[in-house]
Amino acid sequence: MHEISNQLHFAEHSLQEVALIFMAIVYTLRVVWLVRFKAGKERQPATGLAGTTPRKGILYSWANIAMPWAMESTRKNFFIYVQFAIFHIGVVSAITLSFFIPYAPNLMANPVLITVFQISIGGAFIVGVMRIIRRSTVKVMRHISTPDDYFSLLLLTVWFGFAFFAVPNQPQNGETALVVYFWLTAFFLVYVPFSKISHYLYYPFTRYYFGKSMGYRGVYPMVRKG
Amino acid sequence: MSRVRSQKAELVIERLGKKLNRQIVGSLVACVHCGMCTDACHYVLANPDDPSYAPAAKADKLRKLFKRHYDWTGRVIPWWVGAKSIFTDEELEDLKDTVFGKCTNCRRCSINCPMGVDFATYNRMTRGLLVSVGIMPEGVAVVSKDQWEIGNQMGVLTEDYLDTLEWMGEEMQEELDDETAIIPIDKEDADIVYTINPREVKYDPRTISDAGKIFHVAGANWTMPSEGWDMTNFGLFSGDDALGGSVAARVYDKLQEIRGKKLVISECGHGYRSTRCEGPNWAGMDIGFEMESSVITMLNFIKEGKIQVDKTRNTTPVTFHDSCNNARSCGLFEEPRELLKLVVTDFTEMYPNRAENYCCTGGGGAMSMSEYTPQRLKSGIVKANQLKDTGAKIVVTSCHNCVDGLNDVIKHYKLGMEVTQLVNLVANALVIPEKKVVPVVEVAEAVVEEAIAEEAVEAEEIKKELVLTGRKILIVDDEPDIRTFFGAVLEDNGAIILEAGDGDQAIEIANSEKPDLITLDLSMPGKDGGKVFEALRSNPETERLKICIITGRPELRKLIYDQELSKPEGYLDKPVDEDTLVLNVRKILELS
Ligand code: SF4
Ligand code: SF4
Repeated sequence: MHEISNQLHFAEHSLQEVALIFMAIVYTLRVVWLVRFKAGKERQPATGLAGTTPRKGILYSWANIAMPWAMESTRKNFFIYVQFAIFHIGVVSAITLSFFIPYAPNLMANPVLITVFQISIGGAFIVGVMRIIRRSTVKVMRHISTPDDYFSLLLLTVWFGFAFFAVPNQPQNGETALVVYFWLTAFFLVYVPFSKISHYLYYPFTRYYFGKSMGYRGVYPMVRKG
Repeated sequence: MSRVRSQKAELVIERLGKKLNRQIVGSLVACVHCGMCTDACHYVLANPDDPSYAPAAKADKLRKLFKRHYDWTGRVIPWWVGAKSIFTDEELEDLKDTVFGKCTNCRRCSINCPMGVDFATYNRMTRGLLVSVGIMPEGVAVVSKDQWEIGNQMGVLTEDYLDTLEWMGEEMQEELDDETAIIPIDKEDADIVYTINPREVKYDPRTISDAGKIFHVAGANWTMPSEGWDMTNFGLFSGDDALGGSVAARVYDKLQEIRGKKLVISECGHGYRSTRCEGPNWAGMDIGFEMESSVITMLNFIKEGKIQVDKTRNTTPVTFHDSCNNARSCGLFEEPRELLKLVVTDFTEMYPNRAENYCCTGGGGAMSMSEYTPQRLKSGIVKANQLKDTGAKIVVTSCHNCVDGLNDVIKHYKLGMEVTQLVNLVANALVIPEKKVVPVVEVAEAVVEEAIAEEAVEAEEIKKELVLTGRKILIVDDEPDIRTFFGAVLEDNGAIILEAGDGDQAIEIANSEKPDLITLDLSMPGKDGGKVFEALRSNPETERLKICIITGRPELRKLIYDQELSKPEGYLDKPVDEDTLVLNVRKILELS
């Protein structure tokens, strides 16, 4: 195996570990902050059809994102839903990559795995570019976007770009892509809790409570007919 | 230099902190500005070029305040995450125009947000914050005051309510030809305590007698309360939990006082949601009795064989509109359909439907905010297209608010449809059980008695038909067809008819003839109905004349109700059918 520079070794290990610890601490604080707000309760007896329960509502609500037919917004905007799926698969791949390269480099010798990573991350990069275009050209998207929205999207798209080139893990052919990818990963981990990217931390909470209420009131699981 | 903040703005920020709970905070922090909810909103669909209608844009108006004062990134780097404080009363007014004027709290965006952001719920909370510092549309202030002070949101006095019940009881007796058909008031230990919307007393008393007929024929042990009878709750619209709790508690307390077993809520979306779903939470009460929508009660009557219905009496093609509060917030969408299919022959589903249906435009108290009527009616294009596509002639809904909202949309977009409720259709399809068969041995005697009874009925009918005998009624309308129709109907009931085709003529005839009642159209060339009303009410000679507004343009109501003059004695939306016209005229003239 090719020897890597100290600079790259630092970026792959110490830097990532510090960033991860930082992220875990800030996330914990964030979750503590959120649960310190009291949860609203429903005193009334449940409504809706027999068979709809808070439990079913919660499960349906969590699973909603994997059921593009369940919401009108994803049915009507199926192309955007597909983009969403590709983008998030890319995020999972690029994060997994940041563990595989330093801790299981042998896996990265597998050409099939390399192809899988490159397709998923490359696809996410293309979607990232499309999302940047959508956010900056569609009137309503411009209207609702903050600097953080643009920056987060740009950050992830650039990160995908470097991750794509880092996938083969060939430092002997040049370390630039790998070094930049790992520095971006570290920055990403530190920046996430302060940005909208932290939405995945809130997602289980919001969908849990919304699903619980909608299940209790007999709206979830949704019935569609006619 | 730090900016000075108005006292109201200061209070809003402070109270926001107290209102936050985990669900609301979740919704405030979780939005990723993906825009997926945008097309879910009927305001957006009607205003595609105005991004300020996008749910996320509306939501951000409160979110920025939350971020600036209660979220860490917003406190440290506000501009980066779009956080911003509020300083002036003008900014609060602007917020008011968004949360009251650009959103009906219909919750359609909420069910379409992949993140589970429930904007409608915190839009209501924002309304509550503004109301707490006295910033709200005038209509909201007026209606809230009525509900606080008089106990119902239309300011109906107890005596008027009880009079109407008595009158409707008489109607039931006549229609059923049964002296035992009465509306029991405050009957103790009743199985059903029936609560209604004050709109039924004021504009649609037929729904009360129709429900009464159904309860009577079903043999139900039922009653209506003399107090705490208004199951609507403006607290839902104004966001004022204290009002919501107090109104709901009035209803629950009365039921407990008369030891009722089940609270049945007449067809009203926001009333059902407030009383059945939110009231116990606002009032902080644990409810020990059952509560259900009258839709479920009527359906159970049929299923249990307590009433029989004949659907062939309702053959006109109908469609069904789901009230947002019923369907999207309480899961009441299958039962109305089940009931509807039992009482009509020709039902077409509209699309989308159930929890995905669009708002009628009248939700969230929008009908009481006349300043936002133009944008509300513009947003109605979505509903209008939905209705048109069904090809139905009648739209059925289980909500009084939706009846008004839909009527406005239908008139504005000239759809020529009628709006009705399930209770009317069930009553129309109701099979009245035949009277006992007379034994053969008593035939001769029975025949004589029958003949006498028939004569009495005929005499009664003639008396009833001519109940307006001698009453002078002035019909003011610029449309000759309307004058002819109203004139013929009222004349058939014994009234003496006077007609005016414009405002000047109306004032002149009113001055010279002093009619018992004036039916007044609002939209007329030259002097409109508002000016005629003002002229009549400002003249000591005519100020006491009874006036019933009959208009096809409800958005013009403000011409009357914004004036600081005593209110008209009646109000009807066109088109008006014969029965409604006569019933309302009799009510105004206090003729039973
Ligand atoms: S769909 Fe949800 S997350 Fe996306 S913009 Fe709307 S409220 Fe925000
Ligand atoms: S609650 Fe209804 S009216 Fe309000 S923004 Fe959402 S979709 Fe639009």
